Parts: sequence; structure tokens; C-alpha cells
Amino acid sequence: MRWSQNDLDQFVDEKQYIDTLFIPLIPIHTSGDDKMVSSAFQHELNNLFSKIIEEQFKGRIVLAPTYNYIGENVENEKERLNQWIDSFSEQSFKYIFLFSFDRNWRKEEKELKGELLWFPGLRKGDLQSTETQSFVKEQAREIVEIIKETWE
Amino acid sequence: MSEPKKVSRRQFLNYTLTGLGGFMAAGMMAPMVRFAIDPVFKPSAAGEFTSVADVEELTNEPQRFEWEIEQVDGWYESKVQKSAWVYRNEDDEIVALSPVCTHLGCTVDWASNEEYPNQFFCPCHAGRYTKDGVNIPGTPPTAPLPVYESKVEEGMLYLGQEIAR
Repeated sequence: MRWSQNDLDQFVDEKQYIDTLFIPLIPIHTSGDDKMVSSAFQHELNNLFSKIIEEQFKGRIVLAPTYNYIGENVENEKERLNQWIDSFSEQSFKYIFLFSFDRNWRKEEKELKGELLWFPGLRKGDLQSTETQSFVKEQAREIVEIIKETWE
Repeated sequence: MSEPKKVSRRQFLNYTLTGLGGFMAAGMMAPMVRFAIDPVFKPSAAGEFTSVADVEELTNEPQRFEWEIEQVDGWYESKVQKSAWVYRNEDDEIVALSPVCTHLGCTVDWASNEEYPNQFFCPCHAGRYTKDGVNIPGTPPTAPLPVYESKVEEGMLYLGQEIAR
């Protein structure tokens, strides 16, 4: 389910089946041109993955709006992120996945109230190229498996 | 004997002017008419087929094929990834099933659950379908998987619209 009126209408009717929330975590870098460009690429890549996961598990996962944050200092972010998770928990989500390519989250993993799915992404690339596409397919398959295992 | 008909100067001018006028009027009307009945000429989205696979590749075991189509969705014009499970049945007919679960829209897999090696399985809520795509009673889906319109031309399999059953 996407974060859209139509999909959430359906979510409201079928809550007993939809118990998983997927939150993409995407940093925004503004210091330094290279970093900015590369963070934009992270953003595109993350959106692509989120879309694939949403399509695969449309009937059980809600794709939350992206959690964006500035810079690398995720230590200051974890509190706000946990607030997000708490407020989403008012709905009946049993599983909450946090999806990011930002490795800084790994240090905070234990203190997060959701399950972190961290993957080393790509620094830069062309989303149309066959290499990137096969990378994305391969990684997406991994994520799909992890989610399935968590459900079991 | 009748005299050969003579065309007077006045008649000649009348003919040529009417002819020319008619020609100009037609020149103006034609684009307008074309414009008015334009929707008739629009190619309809229905009945559009995309080549998906070589017929030689198909076996009795369902295989997943993917392709892209252009879709206009309100504001957005986008490429949409479509996929199908395709196999030959006992009568050697080609069957192409949509992988979208009729329960809540997850993507179903063929034989992904060890307990049900000859069924389509939905990982979200354990919905199951037989090989011909019919939902198994007692599992969440309430309708069979949709079937794609298909045709074979020059050794290639073409798939069109999906039809709900």
C-alpha cells in the first residue's frame, strides 16, 4: 500500500491483514557538491527499492512517507525517528522496517524501535543501466527474503 | 443534326468560379471534419499486445516473464512493469497468468512454499492457487488469477490485457 488516499482507504477496511510498515530513511547532504549529488542518488535508489518492495507485498505492507534528515549525525535523529515509530504504532502495525543505505544507522540499531534493513547501496550510477538494474533486482530479492523470514 | 454545344464566356466563368470555390471550401472543411471525428481514429489501449517471450522458451513449468508498458495515470505518464507466469498446459496451449494476488494485490510465486510444490503461493497471507490459477477455497483469495490475452506471431508470444475471471 502506498501512502495515498486510495490505498489507505483500502488499508482502513482490511486492517486485519496489513500489519507491516516500511519507512525509508534518506539523508540529505548539502555540504559539498559531490555529497549533495550523491545523496540525491541515494534518494533515487531508495525510492526505487521502496517501490519494488511495495509492489511485491502490496497487500501486507504500508509504505510510509520517507523519513528525511540533514547530514550524518543520526545520533540526534534517533529520538525523532522513534517518535515517528511510536505514533505509527497507534495503528495496528506489528512489524516496522526501517530501510536505509546510510551506514551511520547501524551504530544506533539497538536503540531504534523498528527493525533496521541496512544495505550498502551504490555511490553513484545510472538507474537505467543493466548493471544497476541487476544489482537492484538481486538486492531486492534479499530484502524480500528477510521480510518473509521476519513474518514467519 | 444538333449544333455542337457552345460554352459562353459567362458559363465558363461560372463553372470555374464554382469549381474553385468548392475546392477552397473543401480545403477548409476537411481539417475541421477530421478534428471533429478525431476520437474515432485514436488507437485504443485495449488490444495492444507486447512481445514478451520466445515461444521456444516456454515449458510445462510456469516461468516468470517481465515487460514494460506505457501507462497514463491521471497526471502521470509512466512506464509500468508488468509480469506474468507463463507455461504450456496438458493440451499444449499457452497459459499466461497475472501474478497479482486477487486478495490484496501482493505478487504470487510459483511453488515457493515447500508444502505446496504445485501451486501458486502468496507470501503475504498464504493465499494459494492451483496451476491453472484457480484460488483454493479456505485461503484468503476469493477469485482466480486474471489471465492475459495472448497470441503467437512469428515464434514470439504476445500478451495483451489481463482479464479477470
